[in-house]
Amino acid sequence: MAIHQPGRVLMHHVPLKFVQEKATGHGKRAVAANLSLTSMIDFLLVTVIFLLMSFSASGELPVSQGVTLPKAENVMDMLDAPVVAVNGSQILVDGTPAGNTRSIEETDRLQRIDELFNLLKAKKELWKQTHPGKDFPAVVILQVDQNVKAVVVKSVFQTSAFAGYLNVSFMVGNIPRAGGGAQ
Amino acid sequence: MAGVDVGGGGGKRKSLDSDVNMIPFIDLLLVTIAFLLITAVWSHMARLNADAQVPGTPRPDVEQEKVEPEKQLHIEMRSTDKFVLIWKQGGTTVNSIDVPRPPDSKAITKEGPVDLVRYPELAEKIGTEWKANGQHQNATDKKLDQCILHTDNKTEYKFIIAVIDAVYQVKRDMTLGGKTEKVPAFNVTFAVN
Repeated sequence: MAIHQPGRVLMHHVPLKFVQEKATGHGKRAVAANLSLTSMIDFLLVTVIFLLMSFSASGELPVSQGVTLPKAENVMDMLDAPVVAVNGSQILVDGTPAGNTRSIEETDRLQRIDELFNLLKAKKELWKQTHPGKDFPAVVILQVDQNVKAVVVKSVFQTSAFAGYLNVSFMVGNIPRAGGGAQ
Repeated sequence: MAGVDVGGGGGKRKSLDSDVNMIPFIDLLLVTIAFLLITAVWSHMARLNADAQVPGTPRPDVEQEKVEPEKQLHIEMRSTDKFVLIWKQGGTTVNSIDVPRPPDSKAITKEGPVDLVRYPELAEKIGTEWKANGQHQNATDKKLDQCILHTDNKTEYKFIIAVIDAVYQVKRDMTLGGKTEKVPAFNVTFAVN
């Protein structure tokens, strides 16, 4: 028996030219390729549904530089209010410097921070002027670095209260719970 | 192009076979995806509420009503090895218990740059204490029990947040506008001393 070079053997007996071309592997690829719309639309729909489910209408407050927020589990949703950021050395109200933490840490005494007090008071007055006849919400959000000492936190807390902001909220990172996120 | 076949047509009538144009549909999906991707928020921030009780200026001209003081839970976190839970009514101590405080090395878990501090045993004990001594447990009661946090000046903020988180783990039912929902059992504030 003669020895043949190995190759494709299927469909060799079909006496049609285009079948022979396919069988021997010399068929040409079609120039126009079809795109399956069904799978593409399926993919787009799944992506839209996923993004809609993870969409947050409450938006996001930017975290100041040098602030690492601690995390907590039993939290509430964020709201729109003035933000007092406290990093290792500075106190900022909506990005405007309002004192530094060094002097508080050095004296190690709870104290009213005058710059912070004046800025918050001015913000309160401005709110009252722009919202005549409405009750002042008295909410302030503290964005404090995780390593800041309690004396600074308590001083900022008390100064905010004296400036008329009695509802003080601490901004934290959210640890997702098994039963859902923020309340 | 995709189409919907709704049966055969004939004669000069308008064909019952109509095509649904998929291009605007795909455009709409793509624009929606682009919008949602741009506005997506991947890091979720939240807040822990605290109440700043500042006494008002004394008014000698107004006669003060005599109200029996409510029981308040004081949490002492000055010691490094224990928390002390004290129920006080006015100046009188009603009840006091110690809760072991785990060493910082045990309580802290590193999560990237964040030091995650948890006190599950404290949360459990506060829950038990509230069930035994809490004054506002009825769902129709709109007031919350008061919790006062005592800390020294050197304590780092992450430990304070961990204790507040443990306090807020205790939940109670509250009926608001005919709807009952779970709310924290306590309102937290700081002691000034």
